[in-house]
Amino acid sequence: MFNGLRSILGRRRLLILGGAVAATATVLLAVVGVSSGAKEKTLTVAFVSQGTSNSWAAQLDAVARKTAKRLGVKLVYFNGQGDATKQLPELQRAIAQRPDALVVVPLGQAADTGPVERAMSQKMKVVLCDSKVNTNNYTSLVNPDPATATVPLTKWLTKKMAHKGNLLYIGGLPGNGTTILYDQGFFKVMKQNPKVHMTKAGNSNYSISTAKQLAATAIASGKKFDGAWGVGGEAVTGIMQAFIDAKVKPIPPIAGAAATNGTLRLAVQNHIQSAMLQFPPADSKVCIETAVKAAKGKKVPKYINISLLPQYGNLYPPLKRYYKPQYSDDMYVGTDKVLNRSELAALNLVKKK
Amino acid sequence: MFGRVRGLDVAEDAATTDTRRGVEGAPPARSPFERLREHRARVYAFPLVLPSLVAVLLVVFEPGFYRTANLHVLMQQWSVLGLVALGQLLVLLVAGIDLSVGAVMDASLIIIALMNRNGDHLLASLVLCICFGAGVGLVNGLLVSLRDVPPFAATLGTLACIEGGILVYTKGIPAGNIPDSLRPVALSGVGIVPYSLIICLVIAAVLMFVLQRTTYGRKIYAVGRSPEVAHRAAISTTQVRVAAYVMCSVLAALAGIVLSAYVGYVDPKIGGNYNLESIAACVLGGVAFTGGEGGVIGVLAGALFLRVLVNVLTLSSLNVFTQLIVQGAVMLVAVAAFQVIKRRTALERW
Repeated sequence: MFNGLRSILGRRRLLILGGAVAATATVLLAVVGVSSGAKEKTLTVAFVSQGTSNSWAAQLDAVARKTAKRLGVKLVYFNGQGDATKQLPELQRAIAQRPDALVVVPLGQAADTGPVERAMSQKMKVVLCDSKVNTNNYTSLVNPDPATATVPLTKWLTKKMAHKGNLLYIGGLPGNGTTILYDQGFFKVMKQNPKVHMTKAGNSNYSISTAKQLAATAIASGKKFDGAWGVGGEAVTGIMQAFIDAKVKPIPPIAGAAATNGTLRLAVQNHIQSAMLQFPPADSKVCIETAVKAAKGKKVPKYINISLLPQYGNLYPPLKRYYKPQYSDDMYVGTDKVLNRSELAALNLVKKK
Repeated sequence: MFGRVRGLDVAEDAATTDTRRGVEGAPPARSPFERLREHRARVYAFPLVLPSLVAVLLVVFEPGFYRTANLHVLMQQWSVLGLVALGQLLVLLVAGIDLSVGAVMDASLIIIALMNRNGDHLLASLVLCICFGAGVGLVNGLLVSLRDVPPFAATLGTLACIEGGILVYTKGIPAGNIPDSLRPVALSGVGIVPYSLIICLVIAAVLMFVLQRTTYGRKIYAVGRSPEVAHRAAISTTQVRVAAYVMCSVLAALAGIVLSAYVGYVDPKIGGNYNLESIAACVLGGVAFTGGEGGVIGVLAGALFLRVLVNVLTLSSLNVFTQLIVQGAVMLVAVAAFQVIKRRTALERW
């Protein structure tokens, strides 16, 4: 047959035809190869974390990693080491790698502003996770809003106090952004309750030990408290521990905690009426999902208020529903919804029998 | 028993006169008024006069302060700071400083929490805490004495290593618990006096005896005032310094144990403020940064003053921001007044 063709077309023509067929096939293969490669290209998300400096950050990181794996994106981790000055060069390093999206857990509101704006100018998708920076030039902000979340909590507390009596208040860290937002919501409601007299015992500086010492002193003054408010989980844990150790019965209603399994345990075991908000590390799931969506060119909201999502809403009695005795005190509510038991065990969050 | 330090009296005549007085030579009989007129007595009286003055003012302005429950709480809190400050005193006396005491306290809590996570291993965990403290003190002491690393840098480095080690080991999640059997150390006691304060006062008494009545105590003061002179007087400055750092860290570990018992919850940053507070208590108590000056009673009084200040501000229900200002201002006034008295007495000596 080949000899027949050669005789019909001639050797030269046959060679030209063969070359043309081969070239067409090569071009077709190249086109098909590129398009299938584009479909399989893995997105890269740079995650500039706070760094595993405490249990909240450890859970935040673990949830972010798992979410990235589930979504099939490459997560490049940058460790902020719990310090704004150490996080800044990490953020700059992350931008230099030109990822498809950048998720930042800002430690320095002012310091991180410049790099975030630079990343945006380089057409990167930037998602701020759990804290703001001093600019609106970002793709999306995923953050709980204590200023709004504390309003119903304070209302619950003052209602429990029948809108009168003595209230023990322990603050957070002076000047800290979260503390300021907590206070905004709390004092807004307190202004409407002039018959509630506040005893401001001091600032806990987000230390359980300091909060306990301040609360113990206030309780020892002999004043009868009808309610207590602490800015953050540490303050509330310290307050609860102080009431328990002082053998006050019944312990007055306490609100303000960022819900952990530990605060829930104290409340459940000691029959304390308590209401808590959520500052969940599990929200890094939302941060990563938003970043991936944005990187894929989909539209994402400029602000996602975590406190308004049903799974991250405030917790009210009965708190037994939320307490998980099989897990350690450090576990934040919601982490077990993302991580399975073996992943929680790897984080020391499962109690051994 | 209280032998003389070889050559000290020749090399260091004026510096050690006061500490040796009353031990070797028979002091001339003096009235209390005369003794108060003496320079050093006047300086050391300040930390005692200050809390006394505060105590009188409290009767008038904050009578709730003298409630039994409040005094009990105050004593609980004083004992912790007292223990740390006593350790800091030893290091400051040899012209050092220890910024790792807070980290040692954190580590004590973590050791207790982790070792008692799956059962009661209280005794073993307590022994380990003390051994850990001794180890940290040994490292600090050797770095400062043998490698001439400035105490500030050496102990800051140790602090970073301990905090980093805790994070690496726990992955940021300590996840243990404080055993109930430990809690009576801070919560129970004799009458209103908690056991923790009894422990603190016993240690203070032993320390006072050692500093005032033993050769080792005089060596500490000698090394702090002039290491060169002490060295010429055949005192092993290395031994004295290392021992001071070891004691300091052991006391910090003990304070960590007591504070863990008091708080009763795993707070991995339990020692947070104690670095600066222990130094502040020492300074208020008349301890000099330059070394060789200060004593146990002054330091305990300084620690008590700080705790009373926080206690009164808490009871006062002032605005939390104003509380910070008042706290800082009172401390500044107290330290400034103390420095004025010290300078005047120094001038009078000339």
